[in-house]
Amino acid sequence: MNSEPNPSNRARELEPIAGSARAPVWLFVLVAMLGFLSMGFLDNHGGGFDPRVYRPYKSIDELGRDQPATRSRQRFIKGQVAFNTYCASCHMKTGLGNPGNRVPPLVHSEWVLAERPNRLIRIVLNGLQGPVKVDGKDFDSSSMIPWRDTLSDDEIIAQILTFIRGNAEWGHNASEISREQVDPIRAETRDRARQWTVDELLNVPEQ
Amino acid sequence: MNHGPLIFLGVFFALALSWFGLVFEPQLQLGNAQQATNVVNSAELYPQRRPGLAKQGLEVYRSLGCASCHSQQVGQTRRTYDVMLTDAGTNRADVARALLKVKTGASAVELEKALAGPMPLRILKDVTRAAADAAIEKLDPTGAKAEVKITPTGPDIARGWGKRRSVAEDFLFDQPVMLGSQRIGPDLADVGSRLPVAEWHLLHLYNPKIVEKKSVMPPYRFLFEKRKIGREPSPNALRLPGEFAPERDFEIIPTDQAKALVAYLISLRADTVIFETPMTVAVAASTNAPAVSTNAPVAAVTNAPAK
Amino acid sequence: MSAIPSSEPPVSPGTTAIPPVPPAEIDASCRVPVLVLFACAAVWLVTASAFALITSLKLHMPQLLADCPWFTYGRLQAMQMNALIYGFAAQTALGTSLWLIARLGRARLVQPGYVVVGALLWNLGVKIGIFGIQIGDSSGFEWLEIPGYASPILFVGYAIMGVCGLLTFHQRSEPTLYVSQWFLLAALFWFPWIYSTANLLLVFFPVRGVVQASINWWYIGSLSGIWFGFIGLAVIFYFLPKLPRRPLHSNPLAMLAFWALALFGGWGGIHHGAPLPAWIPSLSTVFTGLTLIPLLAIAINWNNTLAGASTSWKESLPLRFVFFGAVAYLLAGALSIVDSLPQVSQTTHFTFFTTARTQLLLYGFFSMTMFGAIYYVVPLLTQSEWPSAKWANRHFTLAALGIALYVASLALGGIFQGRALNDPNKSFLDALHIGLVFFRVSTLGDLLMLAGNGLLALNLAVWLVRCCRACCVPAIVAAVKPQLAEVAR
Repeated sequence: MNSEPNPSNRARELEPIAGSARAPVWLFVLVAMLGFLSMGFLDNHGGGFDPRVYRPYKSIDELGRDQPATRSRQRFIKGQVAFNTYCASCHMKTGLGNPGNRVPPLVHSEWVLAERPNRLIRIVLNGLQGPVKVDGKDFDSSSMIPWRDTLSDDEIIAQILTFIRGNAEWGHNASEISREQVDPIRAETRDRARQWTVDELLNVPEQ
Repeated sequence: MNHGPLIFLGVFFALALSWFGLVFEPQLQLGNAQQATNVVNSAELYPQRRPGLAKQGLEVYRSLGCASCHSQQVGQTRRTYDVMLTDAGTNRADVARALLKVKTGASAVELEKALAGPMPLRILKDVTRAAADAAIEKLDPTGAKAEVKITPTGPDIARGWGKRRSVAEDFLFDQPVMLGSQRIGPDLADVGSRLPVAEWHLLHLYNPKIVEKKSVMPPYRFLFEKRKIGREPSPNALRLPGEFAPERDFEIIPTDQAKALVAYLISLRADTVIFETPMTVAVAASTNAPAVSTNAPVAAVTNAPAK
Repeated sequence: MSAIPSSEPPVSPGTTAIPPVPPAEIDASCRVPVLVLFACAAVWLVTASAFALITSLKLHMPQLLADCPWFTYGRLQAMQMNALIYGFAAQTALGTSLWLIARLGRARLVQPGYVVVGALLWNLGVKIGIFGIQIGDSSGFEWLEIPGYASPILFVGYAIMGVCGLLTFHQRSEPTLYVSQWFLLAALFWFPWIYSTANLLLVFFPVRGVVQASINWWYIGSLSGIWFGFIGLAVIFYFLPKLPRRPLHSNPLAMLAFWALALFGGWGGIHHGAPLPAWIPSLSTVFTGLTLIPLLAIAINWNNTLAGASTSWKESLPLRFVFFGAVAYLLAGALSIVDSLPQVSQTTHFTFFTTARTQLLLYGFFSMTMFGAIYYVVPLLTQSEWPSAKWANRHFTLAALGIALYVASLALGGIFQGRALNDPNKSFLDALHIGLVFFRVSTLGDLLMLAGNGLLALNLAVWLVRCCRACCVPAIVAAVKPQLAEVAR
């Protein structure tokens, strides 16, 4: 059946006009329902709007929990980066220190490689002053600044210490340090404002 | 109409909402991404830039419109958690007792036998993260070493198109990023891992039916040159089987375009483990754990219930 | 309901004294530019349909034209889409927009000469662009394959035409705006924004990494949902009440649909398997789901407008086309919403289903609506009749049948293909061949569409020849006759 393609009655051609019927109420109810469902969907699947979260992970926490359990290697690498940032200016990237400027080396230092690290942690938190003997050599007046405030994150301290204790390039192979070892010492020494001297440190039992 | 400018602004912002969400915000979040030491347990940088020939190959890929049939995005629908025992320690009896508490579904006798067998041993299969962590906590005091094995799963991964999903970093240095939207041909995001041999690709490009009888991909003979054999056959000549070989005295040589395209295809890999896609792979020489292989044949405790 | 409208619109007090222009004069001012746009569009339509048919055949016979790099599948596929979108769809969109803006504002089209220049520039840009894709300079982005040396030409051509349209709107004598005008103005303004953003950020100053994919998908969604969507809706909102001589059911509902589509319409198309952080496809799903509201509002509006005018759509061919387009729009909208859910897209992504959905929108909705507009407008502009009413009717039958076959077969095939792809026990090629069985039917659909489009082009061509013989030849003869007489003496 053929329809007429040409417009009929061109003379009385009129433009359309819009009526004013009201929008049905149920449409607005539907808007509200869809809005609610959408928010639920975004909560579930939006990954918290974090750019690192991909489906099927729901949040950055879930993703973080799935990262591998052996963190020692990551800690080591991050410790190296942090060491270069904070410590290498005095102790040098090589870890050999700067005898002329009274900076003792870290390489083969018995303070660094001690089996129980609590004295080492104290040195980092509050600094060291006065004469110290490292690897058989005497440094008559060291002056290491306290890092308690600058390195307020114990995880970074743990990383740096893990690095200097385990750096194979220096021939070190001592155990790694975790923040759980740093936290209690920071709490214990929170009232201390002065730098340590070697005598005071030697009075602290090795733990 | 006094409201004119206001309405115009209103319409503009309404339309611009999608611009904010799909152009502006992604650019803020991902647009300044750098090559990063994101690789888990390694100081490697990821992603590596493509070598020069592969980069030219990307231009060939773009120019021929390969993305109209091939996609380059591996998807993932979920991940599975298994618990693997990597070291039974010295106190097997304690370990066996702990394992009984962990509800592996195996009896005490089976457990004793399994503990004497090869490591690593799968204790739990496809459980929730919480259950896996609880199992490991129970095993810790006994001196045994256990870990959670995370495996991404999904239809694409099950089909062998990748070991993990594709993420933003995989495409960091590509221009243009051609993710494709049709799979008239298989996904190519990880084709360099499963087909790393250049000769396969050259044969496939010359005539796909050589390597895949039911393929609907057209032959790209114009990427090759047919010429008379000189004093001796060229080392680059394709080794074509019987019915596809050219006449006597002729050989088929891939042009530079073909070689570049193949180099690009071989450079397409997406199997590095990074932060956004955690998964357990065979780790080379971790500090004190024995070498863990994810493909090791698992001992008796495979009938462990799921959750 | 309102009373029968008179042909003279009420002039509200305080408006400027631009007298309303009678329709015949408006049509006369639109004549040359709109006909140029339509004629060029018809040529591109046939070209695009032919490319589509060849592309379709290549999947059944991979050896077809395989040795010619200019016709390799990847390039041909891009050429087909770009010819359809920028060659045909964009030009008919502009032609009908300009005519509608002029008609609804009761003002003459401003500077028709410049519009012709713009149209010719646009065509030049598309020609260079398609040729560029053919020789291998494709940009690599879907729907944006036209190389960087051709897209600025397109932009300039559009700018000229768009400015003329805006000036026409500014000179309107009718102060109240009809629904179609909102849609048209929004669309007219939005295209340069998305086109320039996409080209700048993807081709000229490319952004880094996978953000390119996000912008590409945004462009596709905005182009199909906002630009083609709005212009198609404007045309349907115009013809659906006008041809059966009924008022549009509800202005408030249309306003709701307009604002809702402006907010939610441009987000479509990012599926959950994409290598983008989870929030991006989730936002895409959420907003696509919210387009249910404008879809329902539009459906109610159209349904109530046509209620009680049941037989008229069978009598008027333009109304048939427009009605088909309207149904296709609602169906395509519903399919998009369903397809945006992750459980569904897990099966349908990367299959022929997405092709079916895209073509339903582009061809089933937009092109059919534009055909209706063309069939209505051309006789008014030319003050004559279509050379063959029979061809016009055959066109409808072929096009409707073609697109129905195409969409139904590919949608079904896509679902089966997707399910097989998700089953790792089925080899990839087995899954593909399941889809290809349905694809054969869609090739037949392509053929039917090509035939139908050819009939339209033929109709226009015959009209052109007739018109030239009728007016140009005597005019030339009249101009040349005195010189000939001089020479003879």
